[in-house]
Amino acid sequence: MRELTVLYVDADDSERTATRDALVADDAISVVDATSVATASDAIDRERVDCVVTEYDLPDGTGLDVAARLRETAPDTPCILFTNASPNLIDTGHHEDVVVEYLPRDMPDTRESLVRLVGNVVTERSQVGYPLPTKEDERLAALEQYDRPGTAAADAFDRLTTLARSYFGVDVAFAGLVDAHEERFLACAGADWETLTREDSACTHTLLEDDMLVVDDTHTDERFEDNDRLDELDIRAYAGVPLETPRGATVGAFCLTYDEPRAFSDEDLTDLRLFAAEAMDQLELRRRLNERSDDPETEATDGGTTR
Amino acid sequence: MSVQKPTYSFGDLPLEAVETGTNILVTGPALGGIRDLVMRMLLRRHAREGALFIAADVNGREALSDYETLGGKVDIARMGAVDCTEDGVDDGSCNVHAVGSPADLTGVGIEFSSLYERIHANGAARVRTGVYTLSPFVVYAPVKSVFRFVHTLTGRIRTADGLSVCAIDPSAVDDKTVASISQAFDGKVELREAGGQKAIRARGLADQPDGWLPITLDS
Repeated sequence: MRELTVLYVDADDSERTATRDALVADDAISVVDATSVATASDAIDRERVDCVVTEYDLPDGTGLDVAARLRETAPDTPCILFTNASPNLIDTGHHEDVVVEYLPRDMPDTRESLVRLVGNVVTERSQVGYPLPTKEDERLAALEQYDRPGTAAADAFDRLTTLARSYFGVDVAFAGLVDAHEERFLACAGADWETLTREDSACTHTLLEDDMLVVDDTHTDERFEDNDRLDELDIRAYAGVPLETPRGATVGAFCLTYDEPRAFSDEDLTDLRLFAAEAMDQLELRRRLNERSDDPETEATDGGTTR
Repeated sequence: MSVQKPTYSFGDLPLEAVETGTNILVTGPALGGIRDLVMRMLLRRHAREGALFIAADVNGREALSDYETLGGKVDIARMGAVDCTEDGVDDGSCNVHAVGSPADLTGVGIEFSSLYERIHANGAARVRTGVYTLSPFVVYAPVKSVFRFVHTLTGRIRTADGLSVCAIDPSAVDDKTVASISQAFDGKVELREAGGQKAIRARGLADQPDGWLPITLDS
């Protein structure tokens, strides 16, 4: 199993040592520690952690301030309040949206429970702010085969998105791959987006669609109406078709966006499917070329999820 | 000899028992008996089962008293409620913990986890958790928080061998949102009323009867 990095935040030296020892006793966990909201924030900015465990009372704020900082920087990362503060003493007033796990410290064998909970919230992806595809692990394994160095540099995707943008008369046409935490754009005609966190990306929802996702007006769709990031990017209308591998794993999407509410015609949507199919073919060809160059003895075969 | 897997059973409801760690979304109109259905699915079948309510449409005390009316045995060491209504108040006598607003999903999540841990520590090896309903959360809280909350709850149920029965009213929340939320659950139980007869249908859950089965509920 891959080693997990846990950021542990507590100002009390003896508590910190005891809990740290319990966490690292599990060979699969390594610990970075911090003693305040400020030092925890620095750690969150500095490195990618898999889970944050924090005391509620901190010298310069609370564990929920740490959680809020985490939601800004790495929103998918799970956070556990590990504390003696009972729920009615926890002020959630300014942090109603962060949603964290909570483990009381005064329970029997509480440190053993903490180690288990850390493992669970990471493997269950417990605190992601969006729907997950049913076979997310398989999807991510398939993505690795398509998401290789050089793929985004391929001119083919720039040509396809440029053509799509002018053909449909939209603001932006793009092809993106959606990994565990963010969408990365292979090509993006009409904007210079590079990445978008998964919870802000409409394509996150497209991954779950069999055919496509069409949003005529983001402001009247419950899934997107409070998504400020879409407004910042001038996305008011969206149409996206999943990029599905020959074995049925959805690795990304081919999409159009527009800065005003807009209905897409059936003809447009039919043609958008063709653009997506062409983009997926390009990805599949590149995967096969990579497979051949990785191992010249192997005959390239159908790619996708591993069985 | 085969060892029987531990399950949660549903008494005389037309549903087969489900494995531990199962999350069920119950959909149907609010006035069509959905609350009654959720409560019946939460009835403890033996003393070592616990029950926990997250009450968003009614207050926690009322939820517990309805449960008792339906024949549920109340044992406050192994039962409790998180009250998410605006005017909810803590009530130690029946283990009710108030959050004060359905928009405060951080507060709801913390109270839920705390109560779950306590009920478990008080000897309930299995815990049935009900949410009645998710609709106010969707209406009052940002959708990202709703997903975080739903994943936190269903993840805990899966890893702690629990059972969750969460209601949502499709007339209060749009279909696309219901569809995205339902992804976090193992399956659905749908409730409808046609020609004066209420009926339920299980979808996506293993070994359940096919089609619509008649059921009698109080609305």
